[in-house]
Amino acid sequence: MSTLSAEARIALAIARKDAVAELRGRHATVSTLFFAAVVLLLFGFALGPDAARLAEAAPGLLWLAVVFAGILAVNRLHLLETDDGALEQLALYPVPRRAIYAGKALAGFGVMLLLGLVVLGAVAVLFAVDIGGAWLPLLVTVVLGSAGVAAVGTFYAGVTVRLRAREVMLPLLMLPVLAPLLLGAVKATAAALAGDPFGELGAWLQLLVGFDVIMIIAGAATYGYLLEDG
Amino acid sequence: MPQTTIYVSPRSLGAPDTRPPAVATTDLARLFAGSPALAGVSLRVDGGRTVALLGPNGAGKTTLLRLLATAIRPSYGQASVDGLDLARDPALVRERVAYLSHATGLYDDLTGRENLRFAATMLRTPDPEARVERALADVGLGARAADRVRDFSAGMRKRLALGRILLGCASLVLLDEPYAALDREGMSLVDQLLVAWRGVGVTVIVASHSTERFESLLDGRVTLERGLVREASGTGVMSTPPSLPGGAALPVAEAAR
Amino acid sequence: MKTRLLGFVALAGVVTVIAVALFVVPPDRNQGDAQRIMYPHVASAWLAYLSFGITALAGIGWLWKRDLRLDAVAHAAAEIGVMFTAFAIWGGMMWGRPIWGVFWQWGDPRLTTTALLLALYVGYLLLRRLTDDPERRATRAAIVGIVAAIDIPIVHFSVEWWRGLHQTATIASPDRVLDPAAPGVFVGTLLGTLAAFTLTWLYLMIRRYQLGRAQVAREEAVRLDRLMSARTAELAR
Repeated sequence: MSTLSAEARIALAIARKDAVAELRGRHATVSTLFFAAVVLLLFGFALGPDAARLAEAAPGLLWLAVVFAGILAVNRLHLLETDDGALEQLALYPVPRRAIYAGKALAGFGVMLLLGLVVLGAVAVLFAVDIGGAWLPLLVTVVLGSAGVAAVGTFYAGVTVRLRAREVMLPLLMLPVLAPLLLGAVKATAAALAGDPFGELGAWLQLLVGFDVIMIIAGAATYGYLLEDG
Repeated sequence: MPQTTIYVSPRSLGAPDTRPPAVATTDLARLFAGSPALAGVSLRVDGGRTVALLGPNGAGKTTLLRLLATAIRPSYGQASVDGLDLARDPALVRERVAYLSHATGLYDDLTGRENLRFAATMLRTPDPEARVERALADVGLGARAADRVRDFSAGMRKRLALGRILLGCASLVLLDEPYAALDREGMSLVDQLLVAWRGVGVTVIVASHSTERFESLLDGRVTLERGLVREASGTGVMSTPPSLPGGAALPVAEAAR
Repeated sequence: MKTRLLGFVALAGVVTVIAVALFVVPPDRNQGDAQRIMYPHVASAWLAYLSFGITALAGIGWLWKRDLRLDAVAHAAAEIGVMFTAFAIWGGMMWGRPIWGVFWQWGDPRLTTTALLLALYVGYLLLRRLTDDPERRATRAAIVGIVAAIDIPIVHFSVEWWRGLHQTATIASPDRVLDPAAPGVFVGTLLGTLAAFTLTWLYLMIRRYQLGRAQVAREEAVRLDRLMSARTAELAR
């Protein structure tokens, strides 16, 4: 009934709709970026002022900031659908459910990627981290990490969008699942920055790829059930 | 003001005799938090008919429409649209049903045109750009199409939602209180839409408080009360009482009805 | 009743096995008496994994068959699984204190995996509490349970890799008790503990499921009753 390219077009339309609405909306993306920056500042206060200690902790702090801000970002993208019953209307279109998931996850990925790159830059500045020749593996890590947060976050934002106590349930459900992603991203970042002395970068990136693929498939397969709610 | 014909997408529906009933339900029921919004509706509406769904607030009109639109699942009973079972083939049903609810399902931060363009992609409307412009013109929003929906009045939002229905090719159109919040021109638009749909054989069910406005277009009327059919009359509309536990045992007074 | 018999057998089994683990089995050469807690710890961990596997499968069953009894199975399995997970963590910590000197060791894959397991399924149970409508609750819980179960092997592997890069002394590893080359009395006690605990788990599952199923039946009866009285009242007018 629907070909892959037709589904892709639908997913892209949804992602574009989200992007346009988000950019025009209450400037939430900017707020999310600033939130990440504030989190980094607080890390500095909490763990500083020893520059060496901060530089060593930098990969972890980077990804913690990304994940925390990511919770806000995916939450916002689903809040878009609370505009006057938009989610119910979305569910009524004769489109495959996984295309809807793909579209929203794609929009989430866009926001997360932007977030990741900005936080990477901020961490480099605030914690005196020398990126130097490691920019390529770092970029790959940010891309893979952002994809994972977007895939998982979009799914759980869908679960909690009409749930009571949404603000606490979204992080509560999302964060444990993200633990392996956090581990992989932090280790890969640290390895990349150190020049990969033990040759472990490849293994961690593989973990990220595996996580992303599995979670995207899981999300696409199950998201549709959330739309039959009513 | 010149009357232009509204573009309603044709759908090959077949000759009236060969079509399965547009709506056929058996003991359809839906409960919310343990209490029945719809207690057992057995209804049949033939294809191509325009039917009014009447009843006081809380009678179950909206619930019935939402069930037929596949927005919610039935708790009990069975229902089919154009011969397609709601529970088994909801995706196929969605392709043929259009639903105007109280909520408009529009995105506030997008313009009128963008909302319809998005809908056209979702509905896989052929020749989307031209159809969107035509739909905007048909519902009288051509001038405001570039404004954000956030700035629309309630009546304009409803018109845009009707425009969205024009982008599809539904064979069953469900309208929940279409006249509410519309000015005189808006109401006349709904009248024209009813005529246009009737002209191409689309089945229309209109939930409303009164039928004064579209009396002449009606084939039948169904009145709900407390989640059950109180009365069903007209051509192409039929209703049977819901079944009770123990099968065919009906109170004697009922058999005489 | 068969279940009651099962309960007695399970209880007897557990008491026996605890007695054996405490008094009969010799202490480990390196770990001393602390090693004894490994028997129930390993058994609990195994039952936790089993429970959450069932939660996921029952969730799939609900999505497929829409039978609320399957949801009751998933709910029971999650609750009991959380219980065994908590016990496994406690056991791990009690073992860790004398062996490592601390209650918690981040490099230990089993402990961290079990902690994440607890977080995942406490979240599952909280999610269930926040939805009133039975069908919506079952659907939400099912998909969250499925994704959580999918996450478990990923967590396991990632933490294994993590540990692999930070070698800790292998003598002080809890895995020793699983070594097939270990003396027969160790293996025998472990298998006995596994059997006894599994019987206990089975008993608890059956009881908890019966409770859940009774509730499902009761709610269903109320719904049908309301439905039928609405129909009868209307027809009598």
